[in-house]
Order: sequence, then C-alpha cells, then structure tokens
Amino acid sequence: MATTDKPTDTEYGKEVPPPQQPPTSGGRALLQWRPAVLDLSNIDVVLRSLLFAASVVAIVVIVTSNQTELVPNPFTRRLEYRKAEFNHSPAFIYFVVAFSVAGLYSIITTLASISVILKPNYRLKFTLHFLFWDALILGVVASATGAAGAVAYVGLKGNNHVGWVKVCNRYDKYCRHLAGSLAVALFASIVVVLLIWLSSINLHRRIPK
Amino acid sequence: MEGGKEVIVGKTKSRGACDLVMRLLALSLTLAAAIILGVDKQTKIVSLVVSPSLPPLDFPATAKWHYLSSFVFFVVSNAIACAYAALSLLISIANKGGNKGLGMFIVILDTLMVALLFSSIGAAGGIGLMGYQGNSHVQWKKVCNVFGKFCNQVAASLVLSLLGAIAFVLLVVVATFRLHKKK
Repeated sequence: MATTDKPTDTEYGKEVPPPQQPPTSGGRALLQWRPAVLDLSNIDVVLRSLLFAASVVAIVVIVTSNQTELVPNPFTRRLEYRKAEFNHSPAFIYFVVAFSVAGLYSIITTLASISVILKPNYRLKFTLHFLFWDALILGVVASATGAAGAVAYVGLKGNNHVGWVKVCNRYDKYCRHLAGSLAVALFASIVVVLLIWLSSINLHRRIPK
Repeated sequence: MEGGKEVIVGKTKSRGACDLVMRLLALSLTLAAAIILGVDKQTKIVSLVVSPSLPPLDFPATAKWHYLSSFVFFVVSNAIACAYAALSLLISIANKGGNKGLGMFIVILDTLMVALLFSSIGAAGGIGLMGYQGNSHVQWKKVCNVFGKFCNQVAASLVLSLLGAIAFVLLVVVATFRLHKKK
C-alpha cells in the first residue's frame, strides 16, 4: 500500500491537511467550510471500511452455513442425511456475488477516499464519482438483501398456498447463519445509504449561500 | 459575467425540466408496477390423478398476489414510492426558487426510495424465480407451469418497477450534479 510509507498519516481521523491548494472558487468555499465541526471525508473513510467489514462478515457467515441433518425422504419416507447449503438457492448465490462486488468496491473506494484526504485538490471530482457508483452499489446491495430475505422468510414460515414447506425447523444452524448474514447485510445497505447522504451533504455544504 | 450567469441559469432550467420528467416517469412506472401486481389473480382447474383406476379429480386452484408476503412488500413499497414521487413532484414544482435545503431533503428521501424499491424488487424477484424454477433441495415445487399468466404479470411488474427504480437512481445523481453545478 502506497499510503503507509508516509510519515504523517498514522491516524487518518486526526489528520487535517493544511489548505494548501490554490484558492480557486472551490478553494474559497472549502476555506469557509473547513473549520466546521467535522471533516466529512474522515467519516467517509470510516463508513467505507465499515461497508467492507460488513460485506466480508455477511459472505463468511452465509458461506459457512452448511448443515447436514437427518430428514425423511418425501417419497420413500425413510430417514436420510440431507445437506443444506447456501448455493441451493439462486437468491443466496446472488447475495454472495453482490456482496463480493460490494466488498471489492469498498476496498477500492476506501483507498481512493484516503488518497483524497491526502490530496484534497481532487475532492470534488471524486465525491461526484463516488456518489454515482454508490447509488449503483446501493441498488445491488439492497436487491440482494431483499432477495435473500424473501427466500429466507419462506424458509422460516413456509407457504401453504403454494405448498412450500418450512425448512428452518429442521435446519436450525443454517437458518441462524442466514439470519445473521441478513442482519449484517441490512446494516451494509444502511451504510451505503449513509454514504450517499454524506456525499450529497458534502456537495451541498460547498455551495455558498 | 452576466452572460455566463445566464448560461448557468438556462442550464439549471433544462436540468429542472429533466428532473420533472424523470420524476413523472418514476411516478407512472411505480404506479403501473403496483397496479399490475395488485390485480394479479388467476384461477385454474387443476386435475389431480389420485390413482390410475379412478377418473382425475378436478378442483379450482387460485393464485393471488397477496398469498406471498414478498409480493405484498413489493406492492406496498411501490405504492409508497409512487405516492412519494407525486408528493415530491408537487414540491419540486412549487420549489422553483431553488431552496437548497428543500432540494437536499428531496435528495435524501430519493435515496431512501432507491433502497426501498431495490429491496422490494429483490424480494419479489427472488420469490418469482423460486416459483419459476422451484427448488428440488427443499421440495418447493414450481408453480409457473400451472399459473402462466400470473407469472407473466409478475415479471412485467418487476421490469416496470426496475425501470422506476433506475429513474430514482438517476434523480439522485442528476440532483446532486445540479447542486454541484449551482456553485
């Protein structure tokens, strides 16, 4: 990582780089805005690392949800071992893929966000691009959470109108893992929403009244 | 800098029109999605062969949209997004003066609508796929071979809602770029 060999950036949260950029119109707005309560870019980095952590946790928890149980075969009525895995359902596969994308995206943007803190000249451009891609990632992450949540709900409650039996009474560990993963995924979606709010508030505060 | 200012004002005006058109599009698409899934219902005579010696047993089977909770979520969230689009359309027409605080508030709510719509599309899509393919691992039978029209209607509604959600994403992006350009 290129950012670690700089001597000044031991703590990103406390570092406030001096306003060294040429005082263009953006720089003037920045100067008015800088001494305000908090530097929003630091929160941006924190939220992006949180998104990364949440994606990794969600993937790991859902991938480790394998469970083998003795269940009766519906045709022969004999007990046999059957395995429950996340890749038995396309919705969970989509979930894992979507959160892999979100995790990768969050690594890249965390690095980009740190580099923006170190070099604030490009901040505005980066914020605009972040906002666009964050909105796309929000769509991916929210739809993955919705899909996995809907399938897990049918697994929990079953549906007697279509004859889908519930499976969570048999595969308890599997369903606990799913529930944990979904909770973390919901948290990740909220983090992405907060990121978008932060970017647009950031842009909004730069506009002189 | 009079000329430059006028150019900027003209640009914001065209962007404002773009915003209104997009909002109208989002409104109509989510409304259509909610209505199409909300009236979805199909009754079919299903014949069940109990044993080869007896004649097959005919009974009517009905598929309704509110039998599945994710479809209920889909319809409700599309209705919410539709109502919000109507409200925000009125607000942004009334907000011609360009109150930035209000614009900010609308961007924040738009983002929430993006999240809501996408999660409901995911939920309905996941269940729709389950109905289309079934799942042999947990013995969930597919239903779309019986209720074909019902499933087509769900698919149409999903596509419309996806377009509406994309319109909301563009609204967020366009509004923020406009905030940036106003500087």
